[in-house]
Amino acid sequence: MSKRKMFLRMITASLLRRRSRMLIALLSIAIGATILSGLVTIYYDVPRQMGAQFRSYGANMILLAKEGESLTTDTLQDALSVIPEDQLVGATPYRYVRLDMTSRQQSFTTAGTDFAEVQKTSPYFSVEGEYPQAAEEILLGKEIADTIGAKVGSYIQLTWRPVVTVHENASDDWVPNAKLSGSAEGFNAGIVVVEATLDDEGKIATLEIDASSQTPEIGGQVETDRNFISRFIGQSLPVSLGEDVDAVSGATISSQAVVDALNNARSTAKGSAAAERSGYFNVTGILVTGGEEESYIYMNLKDLEGLTNDNLLDVAELSVSANAEQLEEYAKAIDGSDAGITARLVKRVTRSETAVLGKLQALVFLVTVVVLLLTMICVSTTMMAVVSERRREIGLRKALGAPDSSIRAEFLGEGMFLGGLGGLLGGLLGFVFAQVVSVNVFGSSITFQPLLLPITLLVSMLIAAVSCLLPIKRAVAIDPALVLKGE
Amino acid sequence: MSLLELKGVSKIYGDLKALDNVNIHVDKGEWVAIMGPSGSGKSTMMNIIGCMDKPSTGEVLLDGVDISKESSKALTDIRRDKIGLVFQQFHMVNYLTAVENVMVSQYYHSMPDEEEALEALGRVGLRERAKHLPSQLSGGEQQRVCVARALINHPELILADEPTGNLDEANENIVLDLFRQLHDEGTTLIVVTHDPEVAEAAQRTIVLEHGRVAREVINENFGK
Repeated sequence: MSKRKMFLRMITASLLRRRSRMLIALLSIAIGATILSGLVTIYYDVPRQMGAQFRSYGANMILLAKEGESLTTDTLQDALSVIPEDQLVGATPYRYVRLDMTSRQQSFTTAGTDFAEVQKTSPYFSVEGEYPQAAEEILLGKEIADTIGAKVGSYIQLTWRPVVTVHENASDDWVPNAKLSGSAEGFNAGIVVVEATLDDEGKIATLEIDASSQTPEIGGQVETDRNFISRFIGQSLPVSLGEDVDAVSGATISSQAVVDALNNARSTAKGSAAAERSGYFNVTGILVTGGEEESYIYMNLKDLEGLTNDNLLDVAELSVSANAEQLEEYAKAIDGSDAGITARLVKRVTRSETAVLGKLQALVFLVTVVVLLLTMICVSTTMMAVVSERRREIGLRKALGAPDSSIRAEFLGEGMFLGGLGGLLGGLLGFVFAQVVSVNVFGSSITFQPLLLPITLLVSMLIAAVSCLLPIKRAVAIDPALVLKGE
Repeated sequence: MSLLELKGVSKIYGDLKALDNVNIHVDKGEWVAIMGPSGSGKSTMMNIIGCMDKPSTGEVLLDGVDISKESSKALTDIRRDKIGLVFQQFHMVNYLTAVENVMVSQYYHSMPDEEEALEALGRVGLRERAKHLPSQLSGGEQQRVCVARALINHPELILADEPTGNLDEANENIVLDLFRQLHDEGTTLIVVTHDPEVAEAAQRTIVLEHGRVAREVINENFGK
């Protein structure tokens, strides 16, 4: 039989045949290891868990189009590919448009969005009724609902009117119901600006003139001369001075400028053949947030796109389960990609998240250290008792010729064997412990970290070994002569 | 040829002279008993001969080596290699079986060899009890295991401290018979006792009183 075999035989015999004492040491190591591995598991899982908790406070990243670029559903998908799927809690697109409420002749900001994602990135939204599920269903901000007296189940007609911008070299097409604006050069190179609306037949319904650049008592009269202005109402474009309308006397140049501006404005509708579109929408829920969201109407992005006939987005709100550094990284990656999108972090959320996590982890670390110390004290005390209990045996071994190194090795061996066994037990129990804590505190289960088991094993053995140092010192100091004295 | 020689050995604890200028010698193969009342210095002498203590003054020659100046580590080596110990209280490792207890001695000396250990147990008539724990053995059986343990490494000297002090007469005789066999094989035996019957089994008895050798008695009946 080899020496090592005998060594193991002695150690296992000592542990197995002297069970009660060793069970206490084993138990204390196992409990220590349980708490250790449990807390470490939680320590590493807390960021994930807390991240999920923090995600309930809303988005922590905002995506916008870079200047000169546009944000669309497609470019948004490109940008999102930067973030790992398992970390992306939700990504909500928003398109903001003013829609007219036909019955009230009032317009409201309407957000086109994806309601499934809204519930992920803005879990604090509280809806009386239900989130829209089908097409042509909308969510009404509480403020609007109160203003217009709408309830869940009401139908509302919403109308989109294209906004026309002026630019030069436009064609002669005109658009019914369009709002027009235009400008032309008047007296002494001063610019005259007009704004007009057309009726269903394309005739001028209203006209406003800004002639502040003209000489007030002369050309400026075109701004205020009701007689002059009223001649334009009901006219079709283009209009000509002298035929359709007469110039304000003494202000021919300024009058001509108004006509030119109108004719210019008319031409702006070119290309955007868009006409106003409207639809009836069913209110499925009233949104209550206590914030500005209450003054918005929310509808499906698809419905809004049906009205505006484009696929532009204004902003996307992202909820990402990651720490501050990772978020910075993702934001940089998105900025650096060629999607034409820039990412901004919602610092308020990420900062408080980092701070709270830091404190929690520090607490877990502290508790772990205290538990380790307690375990060491407990094991050390037990081993101390074991040494004094076995004084005679140690004396005998020394009398039989055991060198100090052998005594050390035997006790260290026993201690580390206990440490290993306790560590194994504790590693497994620790997972159960972490699981129970996680389910009760965070309401979600955790994943088993296989690497933690050997680490717990090693740490437990190390702790047991350190705990044995003082008892071993005592054991080595025992005088072999005590066995002769017939004590 | 002497195996052990004490020359002017004294051991002083403060004011107390536990041993006072002791001179003895023990030949190789000799069987010597050491007697004396309590406090006569038997234990101190035993510790010094057993390499577990050092004299205050004087020389102790064991197999020609002066062990009085050696370090405690060297003394451990000498004790392991040359001396087999038998104690009054038996002293077995209580969680190891009889054969394992014998093997512990082998383990520290050289290599554990279960066969050899079983043979040694067979010699003391306990081969059948090899797998028993000390708590399952009688006092006499335990002491026989200790004798087996003492002789397993073939020591030059067997040092026995009141080996029969806790035994009944039947077991005492068994142990003394074992000593006789060892003596016949040429092993040197030093037996500390205050039992005159045990002392009479030896060839020579050294009587200690007040830390000095009071007298030496040759046992004329030895071997008869």
